[in-house]
Amino acid sequence: MSLAGTGLELGRFLSYLSQRQEVIASNIANADTPGYKARDVAEPSDFSTALQAAVVEAPGLPSRNDGNSVNIDREARLLAENTIRFNLTTQILRSQLKDIRSAIDEGRAS
Amino acid sequence: MSLFNAISISASGMDAQRIRAELITENLANADTTRTPEGGPYQRKDAIFSSAPLQASFAQTLSEFSTGTPEGVTVSQIAVDDSEPERRYLPGHPDADPDGYVAFPKIDPASEMVDLMSASRSYQANVAAISSVKDMIARSIDLFR
Repeated sequence: MSLAGTGLELGRFLSYLSQRQEVIASNIANADTPGYKARDVAEPSDFSTALQAAVVEAPGLPSRNDGNSVNIDREARLLAENTIRFNLTTQILRSQLKDIRSAIDEGRAS
Repeated sequence: MSLFNAISISASGMDAQRIRAELITENLANADTTRTPEGGPYQRKDAIFSSAPLQASFAQTLSEFSTGTPEGVTVSQIAVDDSEPERRYLPGHPDADPDGYVAFPKIDPASEMVDLMSASRSYQANVAAISSVKDMIARSIDLFR
C-alpha cells in the first residue's frame, strides 16, 4: 500500500512538471511578442493533495521597451532544470515499479 | 495531455518565427525593387506577433479557465512600412520622375540581417524546447518497460 501511495505523489509531481514545461514552452514561443509577460507555475507545497497548480506571472522580471518580460536565458535554465527533474522522477518511479513487480513475483525475478 | 500541448506551443513559435524570417528575406530580396503590382517601390514588411491560446478541448479550456492558460503565438498582422521611400538621383532610369529621382524602398540590409539572426535564434530556442519535451515523453514511455 505504501509503495503505491508514493507512486501517486510522484505521478502528481510529474504532471506538475509537464504543466510547467508547457508554460516554459509558451514563454519561449512568446519571446518576441510585444507586451507578453513571462509566466510560471506556482509550486504546490504538498503533492499529497491533488490540485492543479495555478499559472502566475513570473515575479521580479524586468520588462523590455516593448513590454515583454521574457528572459530567454532564464527559460533555457528552467527548461534544462525541468527535464532533469522529470528524468530523475521517472527513474525513481521506475525503481518503485520494479520493487512492486519483484513483490508480485515473490522476490524470484530481479 | 499537457506534454503534447507543450509541443504544439513550441510549434506555433516555430511557425511564427519562420513567417518572420520569410518576410525578412523578402525585404532583402526586394531592397532595390522599384515596381510592384500595387504601383510604386516595394514597401518593407514586418510580422506583428501576438499571443493566442491553442485550439483545445472543452475539458482543457475548463481547467485552463481555473488555472490560467499557457499560450502559443501567432502572426496577427503583417505590417507594411509606409514611410517615405528613399529618393536617388538616376535620370536615365525608366521609373525616374520628371526631376530625375527614382523612389527606392527604404530598407537597411544591416538591420534586416540582425532581425534575421534574431528570428533564427528564436526558432532554435523553440526547437530546443521541443526536443526536451520529446525526451520527457520518451522517459514516460520507458516507465512501461
